[in-house]
Amino acid sequence: MTLRSRIIASRRHEAAIMQRVAITGLGVVAPLGHRVEDLFTNLLAGRSGIGRLRVSLQEKLHTPIGAAVDFDPDEYFAPQRLRMLDRVSQFALVAVARAIVDSRLDFSTEASERCGVSVGSSMGGALTTDEGYLSLYGERSERVKPYTVLASMTNAPAAWISIDHGLSGPNLTYSTACSSGAVAIGEAARRIRSGDADVMLAGGTEAPLTFGVLRAWEAMRTLATEDRLDVSRSCRPFALNRDGLVLGEGAAFVTLESWDHAIARGARIHAELSGYGLCTDVGHITRPTVEGQANAMRAALRSAGIPAEAIDYVNAHGTGTQQNDSVETAALKAVFGAHAYALPVSSTKSMHGHLLGAAGALEFVIAVSSLERGAVPPTMHLDNPDPLCDLDYVVGRGRTDLSLRHALSNSFAFGGTNAVLVASAPT
Amino acid sequence: MSTLTTLQDIMIHDYRLTRAQLAPEAELSTLGIDSLDMLELFFKIEERLGIKIWDEVPSSLRTVHDVVVYVDDLCAKQAAARDAPVPNHRVTPP
Repeated sequence: MTLRSRIIASRRHEAAIMQRVAITGLGVVAPLGHRVEDLFTNLLAGRSGIGRLRVSLQEKLHTPIGAAVDFDPDEYFAPQRLRMLDRVSQFALVAVARAIVDSRLDFSTEASERCGVSVGSSMGGALTTDEGYLSLYGERSERVKPYTVLASMTNAPAAWISIDHGLSGPNLTYSTACSSGAVAIGEAARRIRSGDADVMLAGGTEAPLTFGVLRAWEAMRTLATEDRLDVSRSCRPFALNRDGLVLGEGAAFVTLESWDHAIARGARIHAELSGYGLCTDVGHITRPTVEGQANAMRAALRSAGIPAEAIDYVNAHGTGTQQNDSVETAALKAVFGAHAYALPVSSTKSMHGHLLGAAGALEFVIAVSSLERGAVPPTMHLDNPDPLCDLDYVVGRGRTDLSLRHALSNSFAFGGTNAVLVASAPT
Repeated sequence: MSTLTTLQDIMIHDYRLTRAQLAPEAELSTLGIDSLDMLELFFKIEERLGIKIWDEVPSSLRTVHDVVVYVDDLCAKQAAARDAPVPNHRVTPP
């Protein structure tokens, strides 16, 4: 056998075992909803979850605003358990449980080592870290809670998910700033595609709404100022008067399964995870590039095996910062050409805020819901258009009764890891 | 307040146990208290009783009574250390 024929044979083998990836469950703990249905309905109606926060020392913040989740941990966890769980793990465990219920999976009948967990988080247990520092440095105490390490470590949410559900396959945590959730889902899909796993619980979680974190983001001058007339309108992606992002908290998870596995158990398939593209900006730690974002989108389209014109909806990264929104618009034009102007593009961050490491996961869940419902949520608070941002941003009103086959979700990040996911209607 | 009552109060609050369950002879493991829980328990005992537990929690502590004896012993030692006269290290000039 020649080398060439060996390579061809091995590629054929790879193609033969390449599995399609089914999305069979969705679960969220989000500003604007604890059920995916409620979240999507609120988004379609243009409701904003951004408001004034109640955090300690908020009087020292310039803009104590954010998108908080209405969440009572005592509803979900016994007190003994709760002391070991940072809010970031609480969100993840509740969201993942909802995704599992939605997929009607029973892990007791699954091969445990074929099931894994993939979580994205940018800041991990930031609240626990903050509390520890407050005690050590603020109160000059030498006492710090014994669970500080276990609660604050970034892989705690993923670890607890595996422990709770007895999943002994891969357990991975990705921390790529604002694209963490999308990376976690994309990398999980690759494990299913390659045949290494049958089921992956994948998503993102973030709980950054504490004085220390908010102050640090303020110091970088990336946060939006508070809208004086209506705080809920403070995040204005793609608008001329946009002046920054608004932090949010929450978690979003999907159940990913190999297509064969999902069909064999008669699962309902929300959508197919058809494409995942990754590309890194290497010029600057924060400044995005048109080329980097465009290449990530192109890689995702190639991975999905569809042309750019096939995309029917884009859930944009759309943070509301000057830099991102104009660069993302230019990148969309570079990839989609004339189709860019016929393509609904919306930033739902205008309503649910920026969930950092959970953002990509939440927005992917929204993109999947868009496909399922034939509806696209709007970009809100865009009354004042920026000439540099001239696409169809679905301004102010959601659209329904659409026929959508493929949706693309963009997630870009400080550090430059650009991740793009494509969801396709199941066929 | 006795050490036993203090210990029971903490555990009733944190672990939703009853005073009856926390009888001196009760085994910690059957109450669902593992080594990590013990760390946190000792953190709270330090706070309430104003003692310092520097050492690792000994693995020989099996029952509620064992913990009480261990804590009482520490309290006594640390009180004795506080009350002891400060040694005079000053060197007398010749």
